[in-house]
Amino acid sequence: MTDTAIEAAGLGRRFGRRRAPALDGCAFRLPMGRVCALTGPNGAGKSTLLALAAGLLRPTEGTVTVLGTTPAAARERLAYVAQNKPLYPQLTIAGTLRLGRDLNPRRWDARTAERIVEEGDLDPGTKIRALSGGQRTRVALALALGKRPELLLLDEPMADLDPLARHQLTATLMADAADHGTTVVMSSHVVAELEGSCDHLLLLGSGRVRLAGPLDELLAAHTLVTGRAGDALDPHTVVESRTTGRQLTALVRPAGPLGDGLHGDRPSLEEVVLAHLRAPDAPPLLLDAREAAV
Amino acid sequence: MTALTAATTPAARPVRHRGGLLRAVARTHRTALVLWLSALAAATAALIWLHSLGDEARDGMSACATPPTDRLPSCAAVEAITADETYANGIAVLATVLSWVMFPVAAWAGGALVGRELESGTARLAWTQSVGPLRWLAVKLAVPAVLLTAGTGTLVLLNRWARGDGDPDLVGDWYYPDAFVSTGPVAVAYALAGLALGALAGLLWRRALPATGVALAAALLVHSVLERHREDLWPAVTRTEAGSLELPRSAFQVAWADTPRHGVTLTRATFHPESHFWPLQSMETGLLLAVTAAATATACLVLNRRLP
Amino acid sequence: MTALDTLTTPAVPRRTSPSRGLVLAMLRLHRSALLFWLGLVVVAAGALLWAMGPGADAAWTEYTDTGCDLSHPNLGCDIPGPANSRYQTAVAVGIGLIRLLPLLTGAWAAGALIGRELENGTAQLAWTQSVGPLRWLAAKLAVPAVLLMAGTLTLTLLHRMLWSSDLAPLGVMSWRAWYDDGTFEINGTIAAAQALAALAIGVLVGLLLRRTLPALGVAVLAVVSLVYVLDEVRPHLWPVKTAVRGLEDGTAGSDSMIVETGALTASGARVPIPSCSGEPGCDARNGITHYYADYHPASHFWPLQLMETGLLLAVAALAAATAFVLLRRRTGAAV
Repeated sequence: MTDTAIEAAGLGRRFGRRRAPALDGCAFRLPMGRVCALTGPNGAGKSTLLALAAGLLRPTEGTVTVLGTTPAAARERLAYVAQNKPLYPQLTIAGTLRLGRDLNPRRWDARTAERIVEEGDLDPGTKIRALSGGQRTRVALALALGKRPELLLLDEPMADLDPLARHQLTATLMADAADHGTTVVMSSHVVAELEGSCDHLLLLGSGRVRLAGPLDELLAAHTLVTGRAGDALDPHTVVESRTTGRQLTALVRPAGPLGDGLHGDRPSLEEVVLAHLRAPDAPPLLLDAREAAV
Repeated sequence: MTALTAATTPAARPVRHRGGLLRAVARTHRTALVLWLSALAAATAALIWLHSLGDEARDGMSACATPPTDRLPSCAAVEAITADETYANGIAVLATVLSWVMFPVAAWAGGALVGRELESGTARLAWTQSVGPLRWLAVKLAVPAVLLTAGTGTLVLLNRWARGDGDPDLVGDWYYPDAFVSTGPVAVAYALAGLALGALAGLLWRRALPATGVALAAALLVHSVLERHREDLWPAVTRTEAGSLELPRSAFQVAWADTPRHGVTLTRATFHPESHFWPLQSMETGLLLAVTAAATATACLVLNRRLP
Repeated sequence: MTALDTLTTPAVPRRTSPSRGLVLAMLRLHRSALLFWLGLVVVAAGALLWAMGPGADAAWTEYTDTGCDLSHPNLGCDIPGPANSRYQTAVAVGIGLIRLLPLLTGAWAAGALIGRELENGTAQLAWTQSVGPLRWLAAKLAVPAVLLMAGTLTLTLLHRMLWSSDLAPLGVMSWRAWYDDGTFEINGTIAAAQALAALAIGVLVGLLLRRTLPALGVAVLAVVSLVYVLDEVRPHLWPVKTAVRGLEDGTAGSDSMIVETGALTASGARVPIPSCSGEPGCDARNGITHYYADYHPASHFWPLQLMETGLLLAVAALAAATAFVLLRRRTGAAV
């Protein structure tokens, strides 16, 4: 057994020779049992990364190792929910769950899948075609969790759920992950949604890894600095700095104690992510790549 | 086994891998399955009915005499029989239907079987379950292939049975395109080639509608090329005689040339006698199966190259 | 106009009528269909033109060279030579493409034009732009209709030229009378009307079923049945002429579409021809005095053609109107 859920080395994928690569030289390591938030602006390569990890795309360069083996060999142990939640429209909900049982004969857990459907007050006899977007998401998640995956890859899972259902499904997901030690990777660009439920972060930008590591360590590595305009921020690594009037606000990675006149605060996840999104040229911070390289 | 052990050892459940995938394919293509079974039932019923008409139809074509003799019936009585027309029309329709099975099969395989799944993303849903993409494609092709082989094969046998002694005035000469295809194993080979070409088109185009169109065009091309060059698939017999030459009715005439030489007309006829039915059938079946195999292999290769 | 002007006056819309924008959007959306249609017209027209000119010449030269135009043609004249084969192939390609047209149109209209848009929601996308659903439907019908009409009429005109210049001996394999199914339809206005009816039927089926592949299948079936039914009722669309002949006379003219033949008794009643097979005196014994034939002479070509065209246009109008009513009821759209 390995303690690594996903490990990428120099991972790249391009679609067509002329276009810029969707992913370019990604390297990171996600330990088992984590709940990882995959975030980044639109077109950052989140869906491509998830599809590569799910064995649905062949990388054009580099490798990705999933659960200690290739994605294709790990197929039985991982579950994937695509962004548009594809399901067979002609089947009923019950038929869809039967499909899950038939296609995963060694792993299927009907109880879990049925419970998730029941929580949404869905009639198993309803055709998928007749479901709303959020209801489809619920069925897609039921299908994914019914497989009892060791690694759950979710592409924008909560995007079309109402707040109540989002809360409820996140809770179900987290409880399930905690009970079975499932590793979860969920992409989202709603940062606030991730803070409470995730303990690991992967921030992508323009096909590259910008931030990677355990959430608390990443937050601890950053300080929100306020001071007066003109104050020197050396020797700290500046992610982003702004001056409004006489006031200086900056997000830095401190390289030692802050200088005189500077006041440091612990930033929130949203502040860290937003600062990195606003400053695409800030240097990346990979708190797990070093481990991975060992 | 108690509920507890069952719950804690899901991996120990009996392995029903193949059956599960079969059921999944059957469940997702239920409409097509129902349509195919109904078409089979209708064609079977029609062929049985035609067979029951057969004797009467042959009476309607028999030699006759006016006035009737003790060996030949009266011509008025023979002409009064209308079953022969019904029978001939029915056999002709079924022959056409049987030799065109390829087209709906190709359209369905390109559109509903593969193209739509890739377009809507349900193929990816299937590939991230416990079965791999190649396995998925194999079962998606194998299940319809078995059903098509069994169904078309049965219909060909029933058709041969319903045609009785194959009187060419009633059911057409053996080399008529529809009659030729609908009375031998080529009918099955055409259906299988349609399936493989359709699946390949679906995999290459990845969208339901264009794949349907391309699959149909490919099937049309294969069908018309083979129909045009059927006579070249086996060496024909050539007969040269001075003066006029009469070929038997059953001869499939390929070429004819009259050349005057030393004041005598030399006639050279090239044709396939009826005994060439099986060699021609085997050659065409072989070619079609080669097309099927090539298309299937390419489809597997395409899928394999696209996925890790 | 300077760059400044354009910058400061964004509120003044460009003077493009919304219809023109809709038409352009239509053409852009269905570019592959448009290219396919152009390609089909070019190939069919090319085949017909080639057959009419060099193809026919070469076939005719071959025909006379092998002595088939002499009084005692040999059996080889039953089998086309290579030049004649090429000629026949070109004619078959041209005719086949024109005859395939209603089917392709119906399938495309139901599948790509309407069904797919409703299935994946791009129709709703269009309806929430500045054009309403009914305008959208009108464009979906009108733009293809105009293109179909133009192309099909060109092709039928070419075919008519080919057919009327057809050298009879070249048609020895497949001489085509004016009333044959497959010749009649593509020699006048029917082919274009068939394409229009197929378009309207396809649009209606697509709107009814709202799913690509089922709509495609149903539309093809509907178009095939329409063409088949019209083939069957064709002779009854215009009053027939009747030729009556005595028991000993010859047959009627060969250039007529025979609708029905039978026998007449002395009282003038129509009875089926008795099964006599040449028994002498049999007709008289059965009380038969004359034979008759109901037929359409060649001069009935245009009346029959126009009646059938009218029927097809009525079907097209009905289908289009139903589609509009359906869409209006579903979306509650005013315009």
